[in-house]
Formats: sequence, structure tokens, C-alpha cells
Amino acid sequence: MGQDSTRSISKAIQERMNARMGEMTDDELYAYLAQTVYLERKRLSQSKDETAEEERSSIESAARAVHEGRSEMTQAVISLTRSYVYEIHNRFSEKTYDVATRLLPGALTRLLTAAGPKSGPGADFDPGSRIAVHGPLSQLRELAETHTLVLAPTHVSNLDSPVIGYALYQAGLPPFIYGAGLNLFGNPAMSFFMSRLGAYTVDRRKRHRMYKDVLKDYSTERIGRGAHSLFFPGGTRCRSGKIESQLKRGLLGTAIQAWQEGLASGEATKEILVVPCTLSFSLVLEAETLIEDSLSEQGRSRYIITDDEFSEPTTVYHFARKVLNLDASVHVRFGSPLDLMGNPVDAQGQSLSPGGEPFDRRAYVMNGQGQVLSDKQRDSIYTNQLAERLTEAYQRDHTIVSTQLVARAAWECLAHRYPRLDTYQQVLLSKFEQWIDREALLSRIREWLAHIDKLVETGAVHQALPAGDGERAERVLAEAVQRFGSYHSRPAVSHEDWRILVDPKLALYYGNRLAGIPAPEVSQ
Amino acid sequence: MKVGIIGSGAWGKALATLVARAGHQPRIGYRTSLPGGIPGTPNLDNLVAESDLTILSVPAEAVEAVVRQSKPGAESRLVIATRGLQPETGEWLSDLIVSLSPCRRVGSLAGPALAAEVIRDRPSGMVVASPFDEVCSITQEALHSEICRIYTSNDLRGVELAGAMVLVLSMAVGLTAGLDLGIGSRGIVITRGIAEATRLGAAIGAHPQTFAGLAGVGDLVSCASHKDHPSFATGLAIARGAACPERFQQDVAAVLKLAQRSQVDLPLTSAVAAIVSGQMTARLAFDSLMRREARAE
Repeated sequence: MGQDSTRSISKAIQERMNARMGEMTDDELYAYLAQTVYLERKRLSQSKDETAEEERSSIESAARAVHEGRSEMTQAVISLTRSYVYEIHNRFSEKTYDVATRLLPGALTRLLTAAGPKSGPGADFDPGSRIAVHGPLSQLRELAETHTLVLAPTHVSNLDSPVIGYALYQAGLPPFIYGAGLNLFGNPAMSFFMSRLGAYTVDRRKRHRMYKDVLKDYSTERIGRGAHSLFFPGGTRCRSGKIESQLKRGLLGTAIQAWQEGLASGEATKEILVVPCTLSFSLVLEAETLIEDSLSEQGRSRYIITDDEFSEPTTVYHFARKVLNLDASVHVRFGSPLDLMGNPVDAQGQSLSPGGEPFDRRAYVMNGQGQVLSDKQRDSIYTNQLAERLTEAYQRDHTIVSTQLVARAAWECLAHRYPRLDTYQQVLLSKFEQWIDREALLSRIREWLAHIDKLVETGAVHQALPAGDGERAERVLAEAVQRFGSYHSRPAVSHEDWRILVDPKLALYYGNRLAGIPAPEVSQ
Repeated sequence: MKVGIIGSGAWGKALATLVARAGHQPRIGYRTSLPGGIPGTPNLDNLVAESDLTILSVPAEAVEAVVRQSKPGAESRLVIATRGLQPETGEWLSDLIVSLSPCRRVGSLAGPALAAEVIRDRPSGMVVASPFDEVCSITQEALHSEICRIYTSNDLRGVELAGAMVLVLSMAVGLTAGLDLGIGSRGIVITRGIAEATRLGAAIGAHPQTFAGLAGVGDLVSCASHKDHPSFATGLAIARGAACPERFQQDVAAVLKLAQRSQVDLPLTSAVAAIVSGQMTARLAFDSLMRREARAE
């Protein structure tokens, strides 16, 4: 870990920034720095944080440099770069990293079971029965020894990182570094946990190009140095509840850059592979806020939600205590690893053609003489293609659970009752209209179950729905109703005599997880 | 630059002429016989491996067999100079290459360049489209000369679709000629046909301007004005009572499959499909089109 000290990382990223500035004209450098100064001043003018004084001072120094020569502007950029790297990397504690890794299960247990901030760990909690981990785990364990892995999960909740952390531990995989929003560090327990398990800080309020460049350089540098890394390619938690179909390419693209730098260096660096990963929660802590945000205009503007359920520690504890006491309520599925162009790989990490034959992937970026040919436009297309393969894997690997299936069926039954309403009108139904016939819902669940069974046979989806004797649709409905009732004050679906009450917003949110699957036909 | 051309027909030979004219070394990969005067090899996999760029000039239905035989790799750059979609499925030919091999750097070449005219040094022009700039630039370098202008585009889907639609629409123009519907009908078929192509293109994420460019209007005007062009000649013959060869039926069916998947209505293409499959006479089909409800353009 020694080579990953703040000083070493900072020096390397300053070199990258110097190289970037070397390709800029004076006018471009001026615009680069001026944009930084403008957006940082704007951000800091809205900040109530008393510790921002030091930042203000740095920005004002940079502001003065904007009006001076190239040398002064270069120095200002480097100075800001240094401070950003310090902020991004410094929470990562080398000394406690190894210790914390060993303490991971206990820390997670503590986080997920404490009844309140002052309580001790739950005595009877067994994360293994709550968080089911699936996938080619032995292959991934072996590849983690010989390759640098980039884990690319779907993003559902702020609890994703600790859940993935636990899943990695349970799978016998090493911890991964990952970028966590600065706002997440506001929860003290999560802050302690994240900063000691490889989380580096991402301040999404900094929207200027320089900060994004530093973040990308940081990611490239760490991957290049062999740190297993985790990105959420969806960028932010999916507001609608749907499985991500549009991914952000920025950080994903740093992997291919790090790979080529490794090849060009001629040193024996590790090859880099990408592992898709899906998370399926029976219940989602922030479901109400997320779907509200998705439906409102704010969905586009409120990129960072700072006042959701996650910002209330007691809500997190309540959620953890109630929800994670349900067996197999969370499913983490690691997918088959891919190379950086989205090709599957064999057990040794060698790329496989569509016909299953191994081939040398270096030919994608090297010429016949073994030289790496730099081409950012080409690499961006490779990254797009990787993103397409990831979204396909997300659909294929997602584990369907009862709450998602019942919510989807309930939403469809509600739509059937009110065929003239669009989505927005349907979520605004009055309380007296928010119900469906129980038999109609069971009938629709049966159709979905038959449909899913067929899809499972072809490997198109996975499911963790109740099995056993008796009427399966009844059991699926019962489990979903019980789960919804264990957390939401107004559940997505609940019983009332012969009818089923539906909360349209939550039904839409949970049911949207199945939006990528063509719905079965409705029987007459 | 070493440029491999797979396909020894008139179009393959014309492409080799353009490559030589641009100052590069063409080599033809052939499966049956080599046209005289141009170096060639029957070893398609060697040809692809040794070429900086490989251009496929075989019919759409032969692309799968050629890709399997030539085994393009991660280092390969393949450009399809064939109009049409996969006959069986209506899928993209570029996707077929990616689904059969590790090759990712693919492109499509289309535009008003007829083999018979290229051989005689008549001016021609084409557009090469690929998401990869390097594929566009290397193809431009390989073919651009004083007798052939090569433009570049990143709209691969648009250019592939334009090529497929040109086959259908030039057949439709041939049908109007065979029925002696007059020169005005030719104008209607070309403009409404391009409108159909643009609608379908929009549904699949293609750029609308592509259909107004060389691969769309340019190629269609050229094909539909040439009495010996296979699609035009086929339309002409059908209107005069001949049966439609299966290959042309497949060209039309492939476009319709794509349109159905994309949920886009193509009245003109549907009419051509009904004619070539024998479900409707050409005269009745055009009569039905003219009797459609009046609407805004």
C-alpha cells in the first residue's frame, strides 16, 4: 500500500495535469481555470460550512492567477489539483485499511443491526442469511489474485456500498476502493465504515471540468496501481426503480486508459477486467424519496439528495433492524467478468471471441509492432460497447423478488381499472381509488410467474421467489405484503378484506425493477 | 496501405480500381475465381490478417459465410460495401460481424458509385460510416481520389439503413417505370420513400440528414436512373409480369422486419413487399397507395 500514499498519488496526478495543460493553448488554459474559479465561487457563496474558509482562500489565489500569465495559471491549477487530491484521497486510511478489512463482518453487523446509535451489535444477526450472494465466485477469487478488477454494480440505495462490501467479504474477495459522495459522510456510522473500507471522497457539488479531470486521473492512477475499484456506472441511485439502461462512461473509461498505460509502460502490470454486479433489495430504504424525485421536476435538478431517509441515522437503524431481519431480503449477484471491450473472459482472464476461442485483446489498441496507439475517440467507443454489455448483464443477472413482482402486477391491475389514466394521473389517484380486486391481482401474479419460469429456463432472468407446496401466487403475495408492511408506513401493497390496497407511487417504484422484461399477455 | 477486398464480382473489381487509383495496394479475396489484372488470394483469413483495411463486397446473404471463413480479429478493420440487411432476420450486417468475431472496428460504405462507371473513370462519391473515426479516415484514405470523393460519417446505422432502403426504393421506381406511370410517379416514390427511410431512421437513432446525403438520395437517384441496376431492373421486370427472384424478396422482407421491430409504418415498402411476394399486382398496389387518406407532408 506504500506506493498509494497521498504524496505519491498527488505527485502522479499533478504530472497528469501538467501533461493535460501542456496540450492546451493559453486561451484554453484561461477558460479551464476561469470556469473553475467561477463555479467554485458560486458554490462557496452558497456554503454555510465554516471550514470552507481555506477553500475560499485557494480559489481567490486562483482568481488572481487568471489575470496573469501562463506560468501563474499553471501554478494555480497545480495548487488546486493538490488540494483536490488531498480531499479525495485523504479519507482513505492506509494504516486502518488492513485492520478494517479484517473487521468488516463485525462492522457491517454493527451497522446493520444496531437498534440505535448507542446500541451494540445484534447478537442473533447473521448477515449471511439476509444477504444472498450469487455468481461465479471461485472464478472471481482466482482472477482477483492475478488481475485488477473493476466492479460495476447497479445503484439502488446508499446502503449499496456496505452491502457490496459484505458480499465481497462473504465471497472471499478483497475489498474494493470506491468513490462515495461527500454527503454520505454526514452519517457518522457510515462515514466511519466507508472511509476505512476504501471509500474515497467525491464532492458532486464541484461541477467544473478540472475537478472531474482530477477524479478521473485519480481513478486511472489507482486502477493502474492495481487497486480493485468499484464504480456505479449509473452515476447516482436510480430514481425510478428501473434497472439502469443508460450508463455514465466517465469513470468507466478510466479503466481502459489505465490498461493502455500499463501496456505502454512495458512493465508487468496486471490486466484489468470488469465485473457486472446487480443488487436486488426486497425493500429499499429511500424508496419513497426516490420515486417522488423521479416523478417530480426535481428529478432532473436534484442530483444530490441531502435530505432523504439516509440522512436520518435512526431511520437507517430502523430500516436495518426491521428489514434485514427478513431472510434473503437482499440479493447480490456478481456477473461473469468481461474485458474492457465487453468480451467475456475464460477462467484465466483471457478474452473469448463469440465462438468461445481465446484471443489477444491487446490487438484492439496495439499495432502490428506491439506499440500502443493512443486514440481517445476509439477508446470512447470501446467504453460505449462495454457499457452496452453491462446493461445487458444487469437485465440478465437481476434477481426478481416477491415485492418487485407483486408491485408490478398491482400497478398493472390498477392501470387495467383506470385504462384512461397515464402514469402521472395513476400515481395521483385519490385514496378511495387506490385499490384492486384480490383475485385479479392473484391472476396477474400467476401470469407473471409462468412467464418468469420460462425466462429462467432460458437464462434470461433470475428469481428468488417463494416455492413449496400450495398455491404459489398466494405465497408470493403473502411474502410481499408481509415485507412491505415491515417497513413502509403505507405499504406498496396491503390487504383489506377482499381487496388489495395499493400505494401507486411505491407500486410503480418497486414494479419498475421489472420494466426491462416484456410483460406477459393479459388473459381475458 | 494494404487493402483487402473480399468479393471478386464487378463491384469488388471496381473497388480495387479505386484503391489502386488512390495509390494503395489492393488485393482481392475470392471464393470462386479471380478477376484478371489484380492480385488475389483464396485464403480469406490471410487476406484479412495482412490487410490494414478489408472491404466486403459480397451480397448480404453471403456476409455470414465470408466472416466465418475470413475470421477477422481484434486488430481488423472491416467495412461493408454491400447494401441491405441480414436476409433472415433484418439485423444489421455490422452487428453480424461483431456477433461472429472479436472484430469491433466495422463500418459501412454506400453512395452513388456504380461498378460499370467506376471502371470507366467516371466521377463517383460515397460515404463511409463508422462509430470509429479511425475506420472512417483509413477508408477515406484508401479510396479517395480525383475520380471518387469519399465523405465520412459516424452514423453507421443511418448509412446501413439507407443502403437497405435504396434497394427497396429503386425497385419501386422500376415498378413505376414498368407500369408506365410517368416521371412524376418517380419523383413521388423517391421523396416519399426517403421520408419513410427517415422515419424509420429516427426510430432506430439514425441521423435524419444521412438520408438526404450520398447514402440516401444520392444513391437512390443513381440506382433509380440506371436501367441496368439490378433492383431497378427487377422492379421493371415484375411490373411487366416476371416473378421476383427470392433474393429481392428477402431484401424487402428484411426492411419490413426491422420496421416491425421498431414499430414504424412503411406504406410504400409494405406495398413493394406485397407486390414482390405476389400478394398484390403492382398496379393495384400503387392504386391503393394513391387512394390513401390525404395528409400533411
